Amino acid sequence: MTIDQWHAALREVTGVTGVLGALIVSAEDGLVVAETAMEELATADVAALAAALVMRVARCTSAMDAGLPQTAYLVGDRGALLAVAGPAPLWLVAVARNDGELGRLRLLMRDFADVLR
Amino acid sequence: MTDDPFAGAPDAPPQGLAFLELGERLRQRGQHAAAATVALSGLAHYPTVADAHDLLARVRADQGDDSAASRAWYAALECDPDHVGARKGLAFVAFRSRDFAAAERHLDIAAMQAPHDITILNALDRLRGLQPARAPVGTVRLTDPAGGVLLFDMQGMRLAGSVREVADVSLADAAAAEGAGLVREAARVARMLDLGTVRHVVMETADAKIAMLPVSRDGALLIYRSSATPLGRLLGLAGDAARAARDWMGSSS
Repeated sequence: MTIDQWHAALREVTGVTGVLGALIVSAEDGLVVAETAMEELATADVAALAAALVMRVARCTSAMDAGLPQTAYLVGDRGALLAVAGPAPLWLVAVARNDGELGRLRLLMRDFADVLR
Repeated sequence: MTDDPFAGAPDAPPQGLAFLELGERLRQRGQHAAAATVALSGLAHYPTVADAHDLLARVRADQGDDSAASRAWYAALECDPDHVGARKGLAFVAFRSRDFAAAERHLDIAAMQAPHDITILNALDRLRGLQPARAPVGTVRLTDPAGGVLLFDMQGMRLAGSVREVADVSLADAAAAEGAGLVREAARVARMLDLGTVRHVVMETADAKIAMLPVSRDGALLIYRSSATPLGRLLGLAGDAARAARDWMGSSS
């Protein structure tokens, strides 16, 4: 995929109801590779925090002898962060309100992550 | 020489692992006593062969002795924790006693070992169709070592349950330690991104779906299921497990 195609994919993710923003993040250093988000979302913070969470999740699945994580979803009572693995070390990350269409968002992100690979 | 290829076979010493095929053929012909003798004779020589315990278990199950069958299948799992046949057998015994939750759990583990075995996936679907969408709280057994439910405290110490097998205490301890770290990280992320109080974190790998959810200020759970488990069902189980955990922590404190 080209950078333009990445942005098109991110815009489609951001079009899902309740999604505040979508990013492609490098899990190694927590930096934003590409992004489409509302102004209120601090994407640099999201990238760093998502990378930290993904690393923690990887340690947890490794400790459980369950292999490498392909997805990680953090759901709170006000919102959610969804992360889907792309080609290492990239992860597709989205932040959504808790009234968002999380099921559709999950499937869409998985589709895009497959294409990214 | 006799026309019966199996005549006298039960008393003969086993030659290699050929007794497995012989015992299975006897079992399929309904000669359960002879099949049991062959299996026991084989086990006397090969006590660490999981398939031999599996054979004995299937014979005992055919004889209607589910207790003995379960013991033999658990013995098979001690020899080979990944023995799919033993898991299927334990699921069958649990199903026959209408313990659908245990049957699902064993099939779930079998699905982790053989994710492309369509017979296991079909059995799981049929089994889930027999149960309410959300299993009642009583079916969550925190102390069941094969329950796939691990309760730990915020210092990363295991309180109850296990990730997979009773023998995997070190695996459960490691998971508890990392689980506590995940709880802290999730809380930090949720606080900094204004996501509110953490309800759960779901992790998916090629083989498993895992949910982590805090159950109180002092403890959290990890729920481990195969990748074949529907996400909504995993979260339903997680909610039930959280209630059971709160009860357990209340009663144990």
